[in-house]
Amino acid sequence: MTAVARTGMREGFVSCEACGLLSRPVSPEEPGECPRCGAELEFRRRDAIQRTWALVIAATICYLPANILPVMRTTSLTGEEPDTILSGVVILYETGTWYLALILLIASVMIPLAKLASLAYLLVTVQRGSVRNNRERTRLYRVLEIIGRWSMVDVFVATFVVALIQLKPLMSVAPEPGVLFFSAVVILTIIAAESFDPRLIWDSSQGKQETDD
Amino acid sequence: MTENADFTNVPEATHVPKKRSRVPVVWIVPIVAALVGIGIVVQKYLSEGPTIRISFRSAEGIEPGKTFIKYKDVDIGKVTEVILSEDFSKILITAKMEKHAKGLLVEDSRFWIVKPRVTLSGVSGIGTLLSGNYIGIEPGKSLKSHHDFVGIEVPPPIMGVPGREFTLRAETLGSLGIGSPIYYRRLNVGQVTGYDLMADGKTMNIKIFLNAPYDGFVTLDTRFWESSGINASVGASGLSLQTESVLSMLIGGIAFETPPSEPAGKPAPEKSVFTLFGNREAAMAPQEAEVQRYVLYFSESLKGLQAGASVTLLGMQIGEVTNVGLETAPDKTYLRTRVDIMTYQYRLFRHLGKADVAALKAMSREEKHKTIRHLVEEKGLRAQLRTSSFISGLQLVALEYFPDAPKARIDWKKEPPELPTVQGELANLETQLKNIVAKLDKVPVEEIGKNLKETIETLDRTLTRVEGETLPEAKKTLEDLRGALTSAERVLSSTDNNILGHDAPAQQELRDALKEIAAAARGIRVLTDYLERNPEALIRGKNKENP
Repeated sequence: MTAVARTGMREGFVSCEACGLLSRPVSPEEPGECPRCGAELEFRRRDAIQRTWALVIAATICYLPANILPVMRTTSLTGEEPDTILSGVVILYETGTWYLALILLIASVMIPLAKLASLAYLLVTVQRGSVRNNRERTRLYRVLEIIGRWSMVDVFVATFVVALIQLKPLMSVAPEPGVLFFSAVVILTIIAAESFDPRLIWDSSQGKQETDD
Repeated sequence: MTENADFTNVPEATHVPKKRSRVPVVWIVPIVAALVGIGIVVQKYLSEGPTIRISFRSAEGIEPGKTFIKYKDVDIGKVTEVILSEDFSKILITAKMEKHAKGLLVEDSRFWIVKPRVTLSGVSGIGTLLSGNYIGIEPGKSLKSHHDFVGIEVPPPIMGVPGREFTLRAETLGSLGIGSPIYYRRLNVGQVTGYDLMADGKTMNIKIFLNAPYDGFVTLDTRFWESSGINASVGASGLSLQTESVLSMLIGGIAFETPPSEPAGKPAPEKSVFTLFGNREAAMAPQEAEVQRYVLYFSESLKGLQAGASVTLLGMQIGEVTNVGLETAPDKTYLRTRVDIMTYQYRLFRHLGKADVAALKAMSREEKHKTIRHLVEEKGLRAQLRTSSFISGLQLVALEYFPDAPKARIDWKKEPPELPTVQGELANLETQLKNIVAKLDKVPVEEIGKNLKETIETLDRTLTRVEGETLPEAKKTLEDLRGALTSAERVLSSTDNNILGHDAPAQQELRDALKEIAAAARGIRVLTDYLERNPEALIRGKNKENP
């Protein structure tokens, strides 16, 4: 168990996040720059928890208008119709293409929500110094990093549709503020995931090991 | 990583101290997000317009979230909810209005569902064929804000056009409808914008709109009448046909005019109420205030007398019969005929000179009553039934002087006063005939016959005597007469030879005498000629040189 508990920081080393070189820090407070690539060295990402929290909160705030406000407005001869993400899901489902509705629901509603929830879960567990499910939590973090960008599909679709469907006066599509908030949610969660330091997951277990010693 | 690695070869890191803030800048991100979010909420709240409710009879083509409320083709609101009223009799529409449209939502604003409409006078709402129905609004003029409306079923056809609205009261709608034209001197100057039945169920309220500047021709004295279709009327004066235009013949219309006798009044204020008459004649007839009603009791049959028949004064039309009926006599013993008439001062004016009209207008009510009393009691003004047309058999009431009529009084205290009557001409004729027959009845035809017979017998006897006794004597006398004549002839022929024959001595002497006279006359003529030329010869004697 002791081997598992040992970390570079505990041993007085710091690894470069850019090139992966392990080096001895100048001092425990200021590790200095990487001797190979010159990148700034950090034992742990600086203010990772605070930063991630800030971004998660910002994304959560943006998540509300992203879903309440319409993302685009379709103007046709029969009138104008604004669409929110959820109304898009409903329309797709009602018109019979339930699989498209499902994709939209997963990519645009559930994934951002899942990301926010997961990040919050990781942050809370790290702050509480939880030692359980360390490996699962690390895996969760890796998955978050990978799937996060897929939420951008919705934004791209909206962008394409707006650019392509400009058949005035028959039909035209215009973006609405919702799409901005939605992109903000996606980008903020990607950055938040990036700001989180998965090494923190293991720090607690090390602390726990130490006290056990 | 192995435990026995040589760590001395690990290079030492360089250090450049940096100043760092303790609170990460990243917190700005959620703050900005929160501010933007709050900003949107605040903006939404501030731009939030009022919510209104409109009730309609049917939600034809209205869909929540898709139907807009438009004013001048600008979206000013959107239907958010369509529900049935509690008693399921109508629908209630809830609509979210734009904030800037707040001023349009006042008490008398009107809402209607705009849909394609095809009427005889035009086609409207074509745009809704593609865009779907929407709700139109006509802003009211009130300043009181209001949020609960009752939608109208038919759109007001006039919006944003200068002009004025008036109300007409009529007994029936006739052939009028929304959009029916209004004519002024046969010019289309407006249209009917709506109608409704008054609460009493007896009067129609017809709203009309007259475009500026023609609305200025409507004064308080203006009369409106229905020019719907062809107006054919058969009255005592014969058949009359009238129409305003071919269009109005088809879809009906209203015409108006101010009677020329009225002084040019001020333009009527907006929403003034007028009476809609059935035809021009009725419209141009004077109004109640100038009308004097009378009741007439005739002793003869009223057959052929109808309401609307003319009342003439000395042959000029001055009024009309309003009602013809029966009534129990005051002593309840029999039924008598009752005829109500009204006379129009205005119609009388038409036949009078200007000075007379002015004098008549200046007269007070009492003075007028006095005048009429004088006419009735002293001059014998009476009402009489007359046949106006022998073909139709229609009758009219004639007011004329009958100086020989029995005395009658007029009681102004009664309302309406009774005007005394005399028997009609036809009835008169009948009476006279009756009288003649009665007189004939009295003639003793039998006695006359007997007398006649006696006379003839006497005559016969006389003649027989003449033949037997007188004639032979007469014959003898005639023969004597012939003898006398023959001797007379003889005397005459001898006279002829003595006096008249060519060589008769009397003739010869007469001729000589005449010659002498002619010579004497010639001498006198020569003398007078000479004297004329030489008058001095009378004094001086004949001049020798002159002939």
